[in-house]
Amino acid sequence: MSDLISTQDLTKRFDGLVAVNQVNFSLQEGQVAGIIGPNGSGKTTLFNLLSGFFPPSAGRITFCGKDITKIPPHKRVGMGMARTFQLVSVFDSLTVWENLVLSTIRFKRDQQSVQSFFFAPARKRIVVDDCLKSLELVGLEKKASARTSELSYGEKRMLEIAIGLSLKPRVLLLDEPLSGLSDHEIGGVLDLIHRVKKNFALVIIEHKISKIVSVVKKLSVMNEGKILCEGDPEQVLRDPAVRECYWGKEEENCST
Amino acid sequence: MIHTIVYGFTIGAILYFIAIGLSLTFGMMRVINFAHTLTYTLGVYMLVSLGALFKGYFVIAAMIAVVVVIPISYLIERCIIRRLYGESLDHTFIATFAIALIGVDTIKWIWGVLPYPLSDPIGEYLTIGGLTLPIYRIVIVMIAILLFIGLEFFFRKSIVGKIVVAALEDRDGVGCLGIDVDHYFSIVFMMGSALAALGGVLYAPISSVHPYMGLSILLLCFAVVIVGGMGNLRGTFVSALALGMIMAVTARYWSQGAETMVFIVMAIVLIFRPIDI
Ligand SMILES: Nc1ncnc2c1ncn2[C@@H]1O[C@H](COP(=O)(O)OP(=O)(O)OP(=O)(O)O)[C@@H](O)[C@H]1O
Ligand SMILES: [Mg+2]
Repeated sequence: MSDLISTQDLTKRFDGLVAVNQVNFSLQEGQVAGIIGPNGSGKTTLFNLLSGFFPPSAGRITFCGKDITKIPPHKRVGMGMARTFQLVSVFDSLTVWENLVLSTIRFKRDQQSVQSFFFAPARKRIVVDDCLKSLELVGLEKKASARTSELSYGEKRMLEIAIGLSLKPRVLLLDEPLSGLSDHEIGGVLDLIHRVKKNFALVIIEHKISKIVSVVKKLSVMNEGKILCEGDPEQVLRDPAVRECYWGKEEENCST
Repeated sequence: MIHTIVYGFTIGAILYFIAIGLSLTFGMMRVINFAHTLTYTLGVYMLVSLGALFKGYFVIAAMIAVVVVIPISYLIERCIIRRLYGESLDHTFIATFAIALIGVDTIKWIWGVLPYPLSDPIGEYLTIGGLTLPIYRIVIVMIAILLFIGLEFFFRKSIVGKIVVAALEDRDGVGCLGIDVDHYFSIVFMMGSALAALGGVLYAPISSVHPYMGLSILLLCFAVVIVGGMGNLRGTFVSALALGMIMAVTARYWSQGAETMVFIVMAIVLIFRPIDI
């Protein structure tokens, strides 16, 4: 099977610091992959490179068989790459519903009926069902007309994922989707991931390995900008180098 | 005193027309756009030439003048402003200031340095209860209010409006929805430029027309944008009218101090609410 995403010697330098160092990461169609690693190991930077927020200092990114290294972020979304952010990113100045409708605007051109100027008809016509479905999936359908700024952090996280879903991605990149959530909310997000993972590929960055180990089929461990080890989650976690770099730190974290 | 109030509102309305474009350009793209003076002044000079052509038909001349500015602003955005996205603020400042200066010289070259006299196109006065007010000034204020209502509607109800509101909050976030922000911004940029030209065209008959007219008013408009909040459209409206009023009232008692007062107010606002860029 050909790779959905693959990177060749992908590198990002910030003034002397090499945040991502010659990374060769690959993901297959429909695969659920996890990325773990200590703080500052380059996980978010890798996502930023994949989604096109930064140009890489060196290396290439291939997506669906095309070289997308120089393609701007919005076009990558159009090709099927969606992402969420470590710190939730939704539009506080819009309502929940408007947030979702905006995410369907890129489909506008496919639908001849929606060459509209006004937002209100857009609500009715543009893939309204899809928006509703995404909202129901994350359990926010009752809050559709609420101001986004009134949502709790957990609800915003859910909305952000719903937006990702309504973009109809081929791959969804989730940057620490569980951080800052209560145990109950974490259960909700994991449940959601289980329900949608059959539709597209997923890459999940996470600190709490135990939470995602049951979901991911492939685990990559990053350290100091490099992929230290990757493969079957159980095996990766048994790797002595991983234990030293990751569990060692985790224990420190736990004891403090 | 009523006189002063009407004059204050007139100036406020003009400042509002020009400040919208500045505020949106800064709010969406983080570009400080000095080239805005050029579209403003250009609108006025177009009016001067067209006014000679369409003698007596001020409205037609004014409308064409505003429309002519749109393709010019498109070129400015395409060729220069677009390259400044993501650059540091001082770079955007230097580049757009250069455009403004080139614009001033081009205008001098085409139209000369001497001021052009334009007269009040309505020339009628309204007398209520012993007060005589020039109708033209009242018309300007009315147009500004209509524009405010129109823009509120645009930003609340239209798709482009919603995208702009979202982009003012988080431009990269809009890109993450697969929307080409630059494309929508160029629409907004042309809209802002046309409004600046409209401001110029409306103000020209009651002020003086000379190549540098844009530079002085632009500084006032930056004050409006800073006081109103960058990218805050309602704030821009309120601060434009308030600062216009401050200018008119100050001018009544101390005519040289009118503009100074605006910057004093701006400085006070900055002390209590520093800009975070
Ligand atoms: N825009 C930037 N400019 C300069 N340095 C950056 C930038 N973004 C990230 N870095 C640096 O790159 C390194 C990797 O950061 P990154 O955010 O990718 O780590 P991370 O693995 O996501 O960490 P965390 O677990 O804390 O989220 C860090 O040292 C960080 O300071
Ligand atoms: Mg991170």
